[in-house]
Amino acid sequence: MTKGISRRSAMRAGAGVLAAGAIGAPMVHAQGSAGNLRFAFWDHWVPGSNDALRQLGARWAERNRVNLTLDFINTTGNQLQLTAAAQAQSRSGHDGISLAPWDPGAYADQLEPVDDVIGRLVQKYGPINPVGEFLAKRQGAWRGVPATSGTQNKPALCRFDLLQQHAGIDVRAMWPARGEKGPGADTWNWDTFLAAAEKCHAAGFPFGLPMGSLTDAVDWVGGLFASYGARITNERGEPTIRGNQQLRQVMDYAVRLSRFLPNDVWAWDDASNNRALISGRSALIFNPPSAWAVAKRDAPQVAENCWTIPMPAGPQGRFVAYLPWTTGIWAFGRNKNAAKAFLEFLSERESAEFTTNFSGGYDIPPFLSMADFRVWETEGPPVGTIFNYPLKPHHDARYSIAFSPAPPELASQMYIQALNTKVIARVAQGGETIDAALGWLEREINNMRRGL
Amino acid sequence: MSATTASRDAPGIYHKAGSLRSERRWALWTAYASLIVAAIIMLAPPVYMFLTSIKTSAEIADLGGNPWIVRSPTLENYRALLSSPMFMGFFWNSVKVTLLVVAVSMVISVLAAFALARMRFWGSQWLATGVFLTYLVPDTLLFIPLYQIVGSLGLLNSTWGLVLVYPTLTVPFCTWIMIGYFASIPKELDEAALIDGANWMQMLVRIFIPVALPGIIAATIFAFTVSWAAFVYPTAFITTPSEMPLTIGVVSQLIRGDTFAWGQLMAGALLAALPPVIVYVFLMDYYIAGLTAGATKG
Amino acid sequence: MADGATLAMPRAEAPGGASLKRFARRRSTIAFLMTLPLIAVIGGLVAWPAGYAIWLSMLNRRMTQFIGLGNFEILLDSETFRMVIFQSVFFAVTAVILKALIGFWLAHMLHHLPAKGQKKWRGMLLVPWVIPPALSTLGWWWMFEPTYSSINWVLAIFAVPAVPWLGEPWWARISVIIVNVWYGAPFFMIMYLAALKSVPEQLYEAAAIDGATGWQKLRYVTLPMMRNIISITVLFSLIVTFANYDIVRVLTNGGPRDLTHVFASYAFQVGVLAGNIPRGAAVSLFMFPILAVIAFFVLRGVNRRTKEEL
Repeated sequence: MTKGISRRSAMRAGAGVLAAGAIGAPMVHAQGSAGNLRFAFWDHWVPGSNDALRQLGARWAERNRVNLTLDFINTTGNQLQLTAAAQAQSRSGHDGISLAPWDPGAYADQLEPVDDVIGRLVQKYGPINPVGEFLAKRQGAWRGVPATSGTQNKPALCRFDLLQQHAGIDVRAMWPARGEKGPGADTWNWDTFLAAAEKCHAAGFPFGLPMGSLTDAVDWVGGLFASYGARITNERGEPTIRGNQQLRQVMDYAVRLSRFLPNDVWAWDDASNNRALISGRSALIFNPPSAWAVAKRDAPQVAENCWTIPMPAGPQGRFVAYLPWTTGIWAFGRNKNAAKAFLEFLSERESAEFTTNFSGGYDIPPFLSMADFRVWETEGPPVGTIFNYPLKPHHDARYSIAFSPAPPELASQMYIQALNTKVIARVAQGGETIDAALGWLEREINNMRRGL
Repeated sequence: MSATTASRDAPGIYHKAGSLRSERRWALWTAYASLIVAAIIMLAPPVYMFLTSIKTSAEIADLGGNPWIVRSPTLENYRALLSSPMFMGFFWNSVKVTLLVVAVSMVISVLAAFALARMRFWGSQWLATGVFLTYLVPDTLLFIPLYQIVGSLGLLNSTWGLVLVYPTLTVPFCTWIMIGYFASIPKELDEAALIDGANWMQMLVRIFIPVALPGIIAATIFAFTVSWAAFVYPTAFITTPSEMPLTIGVVSQLIRGDTFAWGQLMAGALLAALPPVIVYVFLMDYYIAGLTAGATKG
Repeated sequence: MADGATLAMPRAEAPGGASLKRFARRRSTIAFLMTLPLIAVIGGLVAWPAGYAIWLSMLNRRMTQFIGLGNFEILLDSETFRMVIFQSVFFAVTAVILKALIGFWLAHMLHHLPAKGQKKWRGMLLVPWVIPPALSTLGWWWMFEPTYSSINWVLAIFAVPAVPWLGEPWWARISVIIVNVWYGAPFFMIMYLAALKSVPEQLYEAAAIDGATGWQKLRYVTLPMMRNIISITVLFSLIVTFANYDIVRVLTNGGPRDLTHVFASYAFQVGVLAGNIPRGAAVSLFMFPILAVIAFFVLRGVNRRTKEEL
């Protein structure tokens, strides 16, 4: 597990997952005169990060005299998503729960609208990013509050030494730890990326880009598709595959790129790319800073040469893979006002910064105005390595979520089945033609839509 | 005449015995060679798991050396697990569920096997076949309807839900083993008991259970192993860490999506595998007897 | 129940056909009561859910509408699912054949050893069967891991290029089978060993006097004697292997490109993860007819042979 990533959480030598106390120990606070509240949050991959929510929760619960219990549920094997499904079906369980990107839409009719909370927050901190809004605002109302804890970007985490040496790209010059672009930043597009991938592959340090079915793979491919403007369905979920030139173009690109990847990326999970980087065998991965943080512990000579930069730009602009969590409040809950107040408290700038600090800069707040937390400037070595991890104005980038703008019920199935990586794999690994693979994709989507 | 036959046969027998000996020796060598190869393959994964579990993360991440050698052994992974309330919680859940399930399954299957083996009644033949046929409906077919049923009982995310559904895994096989054992007990015993005025319950407790004890031990070990190793039901029904048994706890909580601690994961897997291995080391003969009981008798 | 039984006893001792009949009736009542928990478990937790699964499989995703065989139709239309059928059959059949052959070979080898050493070897070879498969598969996964694979390290010593164990579809399929065979072969070994021991030594002696070679002894003595146990073990293993879930779940999660999904893992993905419970139920129901047909033929063969022997 990622360890020692936060400056505030003590570095427990050699400790792994458990030393950080990952269990959702129930905490009960004095005289719950304002009732009981129970939340299920995403069990953070960065050890110690759950403590941020625990401490914030304790502070808030005491002030408001609420009995607050926090559970932290893991997403391995999609347990958090399963819990949400079970609770939605039995109409009982937690008061509020962390929802995976597409789930606020999927459960929209069972979630309490939180427009009042969002309204007040937006007034204070400016707009929420468009992807967060697209996912959380459904059927005319906000179905949850976009969360800070767990929300991550997946920009390019580079080995600047290897990229310099083998591809002749100085990523630190392009994207310095300052609020401006450096020389050559405008050439950071997918074509440059492909050339660099080829050279690093030839040098024995292939880019570690997963093509499997888990979120890291689906998310970065989603970003790639978005930057080519390639959509596989429209807002109603109808496939827009036939005669879609952008889609063919991006498929063609992805197939060419995949020749320069390790030959087993088709089976990579969310940790394989991290291992590829930490082992020193890869020059670039798309990942939050957790991989760098583990390298800092296990392979310091690798970590010192890491630098995070935005994803390359495509014909339709620069998009950064984004995995947002939303905290929803079940409409069947009993203490909805207290739940809203708690979420509002967690979304305030001070709380968000507290959370982000605990995660060593991993967490991304939903408000674009909060891209300036100090933690991103000070983390190192090398200092400034994650300066460009949050989306900053000078990046000229937008967030992307794979399979938008499909309706959530369909999108969440496409996301879980990883249709975007599979369609590429059918061509690149399975040897099908692009036409055949796209035909498969269309049939698969139509099949998903049947009997919904 | 008899003398001639004897003299004619003698060299043949002698010759055969000689070739038999060399054949035996050759067979013995083949046997040892195959068994050594098989043992290496069979034991490699657990051994490698153990080696990984006593390495530090830095050593695991280091690609430089022979992965089959540990340079700086550490017990840190084990210490971290054993001092973690979450892991001990998994352990306790497994123990609790397993003990309850073993007790319930043994009561159900001993009673049923006794009745089916000794007290013929309407439909008993049919039922005995039915017990075997339950295997055609594996847990992977049942978990979806059971997910709904357990959910409607409000037992999702509760160890009680597991206690409810695990007997479907254990009871049929245990009953099968016990029918075999009870059937092998001579009929004269129950007649003697009946004449002595014992009722059926007394007969079961005083005569059958003591006589069939090896079978009961075998069935108990079987039920223990199966409920300890159960994976499908807890994966489907349990999502909160505090209610998880070991198998799913190790697989789902020690593996995190992003990066994970292989040393700790392997240590956890080995610790979780320990109870069945210990039981098996001490009670191997019973376990094997149980596994082969139905087949060799049937 | 115990009281009823106690009351029955004195009457049973009394002479007369009527009381004997009553005794028999009471006996069947008690027997029925004793099997009641078993009936409850099988009926309530196996038969009823299985029936319920059939009902579920005929509903739409929201479970609001009856769509008959719609889910099966949709599934059979989908290339992914047709591939799952192929993979499940391929996986189960290959794995069971390998397990049976390896188990038979090992049992034979063990049988050659003197009794004292046998126990030690038997104990070592049974270890894979004792460790919960979900956990031992973790160990295999770590040995297959592309960057750190310790198997590839060993292969590299013999100058064999690194194998993408879980990345290439066919290698991934082979890996899943390897793990399953590793886990299941000891079970076959132990069953066959028990069976070998029950073959009377005289038969071999008789065969030896007739001048039979080792192969002939195997062909004409051992195999016929073991036919029933081989059928039963193969059937049992086929059922369990067809229903395998943990190895695929831990090792490949169905990847790459869904090519290693078997019925159970695909049912889990479709039914529980993607939230389409009826379609997941339909997927898992697909194994039932296959298993039932196999079981019918195997059991018929066993019964016929048992009758011949009698």
